[in-house]
Amino acid sequence: MRVLLVEDDADMAASLKASLTADEHDVEIAADGELGESMALSGGYDVIVLDRMLPKKIGTAVIKDLRDQGLSTPVLMLSALHDEDHRVEGLEAGANDYLGKPYSTRELLARVKALWNGRDRDAQTRLQVGDLEMDLLARTVKRGGKKLDLQPREFRLLEYLMRNAGQTVTRKMLLENVWDYHFDPQTNVIDVHISRLRSKIDRDFAQSLLHTVRGSGYRLEA
Amino acid sequence: MRPSLALLRTTTFRLALVQAGIVLAFVVALLVYIYVATIGQLNADSDVLAEQEYAALERAYGEGGIRRLNQEVVERAARQGPLLYVLAESNGAVITGDFQQLPAVPVGDAVQRLDFNFERTDESGADQSGRARGQVGRLLNGPILLVARDLGDSALITGRITRALWTVALLGLLTSVASGLIGAWLASRRVEALTNTTRDVMSGDLTRRAPVRGEGDEWDELALAINAMLDRLERLMHISRTAGDAIAHDLRSPLTRFRHRLESALDAPADVEADREALRKALEEADRLLDMFAAVLRLARVESNPDWRFEPIDATEALRELVEFYEPAAEEQGRTLRGEISDGLVLSGEHGLFAQAVSNLIENALKYTPEGGHVEVRAVRRPDGRIEIAVSDDGPGIPPADRERVLERFVRLESARSSPGAGLGLSLVAAVARLHRGGLHLRDGLGDDTHRGLCAALVLPAIDAAAAR
Repeated sequence: MRVLLVEDDADMAASLKASLTADEHDVEIAADGELGESMALSGGYDVIVLDRMLPKKIGTAVIKDLRDQGLSTPVLMLSALHDEDHRVEGLEAGANDYLGKPYSTRELLARVKALWNGRDRDAQTRLQVGDLEMDLLARTVKRGGKKLDLQPREFRLLEYLMRNAGQTVTRKMLLENVWDYHFDPQTNVIDVHISRLRSKIDRDFAQSLLHTVRGSGYRLEA
Repeated sequence: MRPSLALLRTTTFRLALVQAGIVLAFVVALLVYIYVATIGQLNADSDVLAEQEYAALERAYGEGGIRRLNQEVVERAARQGPLLYVLAESNGAVITGDFQQLPAVPVGDAVQRLDFNFERTDESGADQSGRARGQVGRLLNGPILLVARDLGDSALITGRITRALWTVALLGLLTSVASGLIGAWLASRRVEALTNTTRDVMSGDLTRRAPVRGEGDEWDELALAINAMLDRLERLMHISRTAGDAIAHDLRSPLTRFRHRLESALDAPADVEADREALRKALEEADRLLDMFAAVLRLARVESNPDWRFEPIDATEALRELVEFYEPAAEEQGRTLRGEISDGLVLSGEHGLFAQAVSNLIENALKYTPEGGHVEVRAVRRPDGRIEIAVSDDGPGIPPADRERVLERFVRLESARSSPGAGLGLSLVAAVARLHRGGLHLRDGLGDDTHRGLCAALVLPAIDAAAAR
């Protein structure tokens, strides 16, 4: 996957590039907003990682102009402050995801992948992972042909995991996308929700689908 | 500064001067009006009357000559009434009439108006003086005829009224100036008190407050507003003074641990597993530090940034979701979390901050409630129209004396030192409450006498659910 990283802090950019490269992405770096915009437009990138505070042109302005010129490449915006108003501003400008500092490298890698994988899954009405099937119109879930009874929130949690099947989703991603919460719960709230979901989809079956990725989050995989 | 001069410069005194000017102008206008309405009218009436009489006598002279005229004048002069007559020969010697002498005016050929003071002895022999107004003229062949009206008492009365009005005007002027001086003096004393207070505060004594008399007047209101401002200033000063110390203090321990882990990993003989474990621990410490910084920054932004985007929030739904979110974890930890949320609670606010504030309260309650404890989230619309979100527990609670203090930044009671957290949770809730023009109140919770428990009540202004849609 080709990633454009627009970041003015050279150390930070180098460190991120190393992590992304280790995760088998091709990374190019732009050090200011104007350069980032022209590189993005010259094309060929799968995901753009864009810092909010940039010299010459700030991130929100860059992304607005990119979207105005019809570029639909998924953009992950990074910001020094994870504040509601900045986040909303970034998303309204056209960012697909928003990550406030401090974030872990794992978090960033998971989100870059999710952006790439999630591009064309939104339109689907049926999701399938192994013998687990979800019908988004009838709002039913079956495993091995047997209907599972899920609460509405469990359904949304499973839907998000299935849309990102095969890749790691972090607790923060679940928190933001399933609950729309943008704060850090101090307790293991997400883990308990996951273990309840796991008991419904995995308990009576030989093969487990919902895996814990140590230190990162969870992955649904057949 | 000489106080007497200072008084003359005050607004109150200037207003009093303006008032004095208005009184003066009013009196002058009144005088003009009274003059026109009394003396002016009297003069006009006199002129008409004298003219008519003069004309009638002139006719009588024309018809019957000097004899007839003389007879008429004698008859008319004898009548009771305000009109006075004099008939004189062409050289001015009086023939008959009310006076023995003509007034000292040169008499020309044409009829002319005159206004004169007179003295005479009336029928009863009493001396009489007065003022009269009328006309005098030379008739055909020389005799002089004077007809006038005795202005008498009315002139006297108008004169007195005029004098009285001038006296009143003078008194009004004096009172205005005096009341202005007194008012200015009283006002300057209040202003001086406020000025002294602000000077003292400026020179560093933040505890000084403007005196409030309790009369509920505009000065009290100003003093109260200034005091409220000083309270906030003092609080902010206190925060910034203590925040630095607190940050340094709270960051020192995790940073020391962080450093220690790295150092001992470096010192120890190379061991991949042990190194990795040290790195993992160091990472955890770093995360904790970064979380703390994030919390400090977030709190600062909530307190200093007025530009949050407020939207109608369906608090009922948001609160039920939060309870549903935390309920499984609470159960897992052996605590009971229950929600009792009224329908139709809508408020205007920032969604994320609202959710975070309530989640802080719930997490706090879960953290400080022992295993087997209960946490309850109740949200109601109070009779005063505000929404109260009360998170109660049956944990150890907070002694009433400490309740104010725990809302300050970085304050953690000794009993809570052992558990994780930066001591910013309740400060953030309080700051979010202030941002939403509400408040955070701490009181006894669900416990009994030995374990009082804690109830943290977030009170926020509601908006009309129907209007929000």
